[in-house]
Amino acid sequence: MSMNEPDALGKTTRINLLFDFYETLLTEKQRTFLKYYFHDDYSLGEIAAEFDISRQAVYEHVKRAEQALEGYEQKLGLLSRHEVLQEQLARLEAIGLELPVGSAERAALQSVLEDIRQTENLIDVNPNREVTGDGV
Amino acid sequence: MAVRIRLKRIGAHKAPFYRVVVSDSRSPRDGRFIEEIGTYNPVAQPAQVNIDEEKALKWLQTGAQASDTVRNLLSKAGVLTKFHELKQQK
Repeated sequence: MSMNEPDALGKTTRINLLFDFYETLLTEKQRTFLKYYFHDDYSLGEIAAEFDISRQAVYEHVKRAEQALEGYEQKLGLLSRHEVLQEQLARLEAIGLELPVGSAERAALQSVLEDIRQTENLIDVNPNREVTGDGV
Repeated sequence: MAVRIRLKRIGAHKAPFYRVVVSDSRSPRDGRFIEEIGTYNPVAQPAQVNIDEEKALKWLQTGAQASDTVRNLLSKAGVLTKFHELKQQK
C-alpha cells in the first residue's frame, strides 16, 4: 500500500469483491476503513486526518481487515466459486445463442440460466446492503 | 485546496464498477465531485477502461493528484505517457 503500488487496481478490485461476500463477518471498524480505502479511494493520510489517528494506525486497520477477508476466502471460497460459475454460465449462454431464435430449446436453456442466476442472488449473504453511490 | 483524482465505487453487489472522479480532497465521502472523467469496469472480460483523455490531461496539468489506482488506470489508457510527453515539450 505504499505510493505507486504496481497493481493497486487489481488489489482494489479483489478486495471489493471479497468485501461483497464477507462484509457481514467483519467488525464495524474494519468495514468503515475498508470502505474509505477501497470504495472511495481515500489515501491513508486522508483517512488518518478524518479520524484523527496516525497514518500507521490506519494502515494497520486496513491491513488486518484485508487479511481477515483473505482468511475467509481461504476457508469458504465463495469468490472463487462465484468466478468459476460466472464463466460457466457465460459459456452456456453462448451455446444458447447458437440455437435457432424462437425454438423451444433456446427458450428452455435461457429459462434455466435465469433460474441459476436467481438462485445465486438468493444466497446473497447480505441482500439489503447499501452500495455507495447509485447502482448501475 | 488539493484536488484529487480517484475511483468511486458504484455498481451492483458482486459486480464492482467505478467512476473516475475529480474531487476536492476535503469533500465528504457521500459525495459531490467536481467532474467525472471516466469509468472502469473490472468485471467485464476484458476489463473496460473509459477515460476522457482531454479532461484527464487538463486536470493533471493543473496539478491534480491521482491516486495509485487511478495512476494504474491512466497508465493503462496511455494518458500518463502523453502527460509526460507534454510536460517535456514545455
